[in-house]
Amino acid sequence: MKNEVVRVVTPLPLTEEQKEIIKKHLSRLSPQEDFTLQEEVDPSILGGVIIAWGETLIDCSVKTQLQKIKERMLKEMLKEAS
Amino acid sequence: MINVDWSIVFQIINFIVLVLLLVRFLFKPAVQALESRSKHIEEQISAAEAQKKAAEELRIKLEEEEQKIQEKYLEMIEEANKEAAKVKEDIINEAYQEGEKIKKEYEKRAQKEIEKLFSQLREEIVEIVETVVVKILNTQITPEVQTQLIDRLLEEAVSQIEEQMEVSYEK
Repeated sequence: MKNEVVRVVTPLPLTEEQKEIIKKHLSRLSPQEDFTLQEEVDPSILGGVIIAWGETLIDCSVKTQLQKIKERMLKEMLKEAS
Repeated sequence: MINVDWSIVFQIINFIVLVLLLVRFLFKPAVQALESRSKHIEEQISAAEAQKKAAEELRIKLEEEEQKIQEKYLEMIEEANKEAAKVKEDIINEAYQEGEKIKKEYEKRAQKEIEKLFSQLREEIVEIVETVVVKILNTQITPEVQTQLIDRLLEEAVSQIEEQMEVSYEK
């Protein structure tokens, strides 16, 4: 089984339960790989998680979700105005 | 025999001679002078009539000229009025068009300003909402909530990646 080091960014330090959840989801994508989590705490992402390994990036941060909502709100407002 | 009073005869003869002399030296020149005078007056009258006629013709001619000048003057006045009316209309039209152009330009500018203000307002509203949401989230995201977030968001993201992978395999 190949070992893959995964960079995991969260706003709070990861609990064991959270680590298991992350590994569970990652194994769905690459069942043959074993994942080692390299933790990084960044309160600015507010919530959720950012996972990066190799060329893959999964941005599930609340900050990015908020950014998307913000962009959608602005687009909708602009559409309504025109 | 008739007794003749010679003094009377002489008086008669003298009278006749006097009359003849008067006729010869007084009446004839007088008549001639009168005739001459009369002729001169007639000539003067004729000349005066001719002058009067010429003056009348000249007066008529001058009146005609005056009439023509008056007509020409009225024509010119009318033409000038028409030209002035046209110039006035042109100026009014030009001013109106210029006014409309300025009005449209200002309306366009005002519309742009309003749109800009609304755009700024929208951005400000969204920024405020974002700030409020961030503040709320900072206090609301507990480790339990974070666990749920990680699970739910990763579930969605991984499902999407799996769907994309399936689509690319099918292709």
